[in-house]
Amino acid sequence: MIMAPPLASLISSESGRVLSIQSHTVQGYVGNKSAVFPLQLLGFDVDPINSVQFSNHTGYPTWKGQVLDGEQLWSLIEGLEANNLLFYTHLLTVCDPVMGDEGKLYIKPELVPLYKDKVVPLASMLTPNQFEAELLTGCSIHSEADALEACKKLHGAGPSKVVITSLDINSDLLLIGSHLENEEDAPKQFLISMPKIPAYFTGTGDLMAALLLGWSYKYPNSLETAAELAVASLQAVLERTLLDYNAAKVQPEVKQLELRLIQSQEQIKHPIVEFHAKRFY
Amino acid sequence: MIMAPPLASLISSESGRVLSIQSHTVQGYVGNKSAVFPLQLLGFDVDPINSVQFSNHTGYPTWKGQVLDGEQLWSLIEGLEANNLLFYTHLLTGYIGSLSFLETILEVVHKLRSVNPNLLYVCDPVMGDEGKLYIKPELVPLYKDKVVPLASMLTPNQFEAELLTGCSIHSEADALEACKKLHGAGPSKVVITSLDINSDLLLIGSHLENEEDAPKQFLISMPKIPAYFTGTGDLMAALLLGWSYKYPNSLETAAELAVASLQAVLERTLLDYNAAKVQPEVKQLELRLIQSQEQIKHPIVEFHAKRFY
Repeated sequence: MIMAPPLASLISSESGRVLSIQSHTVQGYVGNKSAVFPLQLLGFDVDPINSVQFSNHTGYPTWKGQVLDGEQLWSLIEGLEANNLLFYTHLLTVCDPVMGDEGKLYIKPELVPLYKDKVVPLASMLTPNQFEAELLTGCSIHSEADALEACKKLHGAGPSKVVITSLDINSDLLLIGSHLENEEDAPKQFLISMPKIPAYFTGTGDLMAALLLGWSYKYPNSLETAAELAVASLQAVLERTLLDYNAAKVQPEVKQLELRLIQSQEQIKHPIVEFHAKRFY
Repeated sequence: MIMAPPLASLISSESGRVLSIQSHTVQGYVGNKSAVFPLQLLGFDVDPINSVQFSNHTGYPTWKGQVLDGEQLWSLIEGLEANNLLFYTHLLTGYIGSLSFLETILEVVHKLRSVNPNLLYVCDPVMGDEGKLYIKPELVPLYKDKVVPLASMLTPNQFEAELLTGCSIHSEADALEACKKLHGAGPSKVVITSLDINSDLLLIGSHLENEEDAPKQFLISMPKIPAYFTGTGDLMAALLLGWSYKYPNSLETAAELAVASLQAVLERTLLDYNAAKVQPEVKQLELRLIQSQEQIKHPIVEFHAKRFY
């Protein structure tokens, strides 16, 4: 029996179709577990390729599971191709350059130049944190001005949209966004100041990248609006998580908390913006 | 850094926590792709173990990907156990491709019940449809003798109900009798999800609340939709799990809501493909699950149960 072609290739007003290549953990909300559900809530068809299948994330004392190699990944692409199923509006993957945080590298050092030289130039949007932005640009970031400059450097390397998702500057927690709409003008830059929440969470970076993808598809000409909505959702998920763990009398400071994604679906679909962007243009 | 224990084991009023062991296709909505999102919409935390990762489902002319064996499945369970992460309210299984995998599933049920003795096992005994077996014949006795006795809820289609009971089903009465036989084997809730009787499309449900009384039985008549869909059985099993958790004492209400959501998804799928001028009769359609999320969260019951009690 002939399969009908995916609607995304037939209907131009269709919501987006995302190929998301990230890790899968059976339990917990990181990687694809963190990214796919929010994008589905926002109306996207998401096709996840699970680069690993682990019992749980690697922040736990132990984990078990299987890893996909490059050949197996390519094999899945070939399968899709053979069925004319490679029409996507978005690819979500290593362009959230999950390399490290707070000065510690958590991928193999030899992969860093590969990200810098080959992957970044292909990205349409890049969502590094402060440490990753420093690694990719070779610059230290100690001030807002440094961060804005780092964004300009990254535009030069490829992506027209750059969001440094978390910056710790003068004990504020900031997000900085930069949109290079065309080569002639300066990029439109902004920051959003966010409250520091006194707890450790896993999966927030993956969630943020997915939310930025989703909202910037709905607001392609305003990275600012997209970022405000993404931050609103993220904050709601974090607050909900803290609330639920507190109610269960679990100390948030000493334990890493799993995101309460399922319980925050309303705020993912309909975020209420509290933290507004401050423009630099 | 110490990980916080999952809330499910700490808060009794928590929404359910489901371990769902099914296939994963990159593209399309079958197996876990069909079951997980609806359950998440209904408020469940779902932990999916992907028994395979294929590019697309096997109804297409070709597919590529990888298959998990029993050992690899057990390895994931061991990983969860080592971190005290085996507290689940439900286990959901669907299509299982190999004997070794099915045998390991039996071990998984026992392991999960050692952590939560009240675990509900929703088993969709995927073996075939419309008279055709699509698993290896050696799995059938294992389903019949070992798996069904462990199930809390069973969701066979007509063919599977016939295979498991050894009875042919030609009438409503036959179907109700088959349900009674299946209760005898184990599950207190049985839903025969699609029956073709006298050119009507029926769902029959049966809930054996206690050993002393007769089971409460009902049917729901559904419109036959002129198209082929893949993933509907997987979706139905997930919806039945979800709604029967919310209405544990009324399998009828759960089935009405599940049918309502399923019908809405099918209608939406047909509508969208028609709008794109794709002939539904000759092609298999991918379910428009994402686009039907409102109707999955808030189904409107049109097709009501007819009671036999």
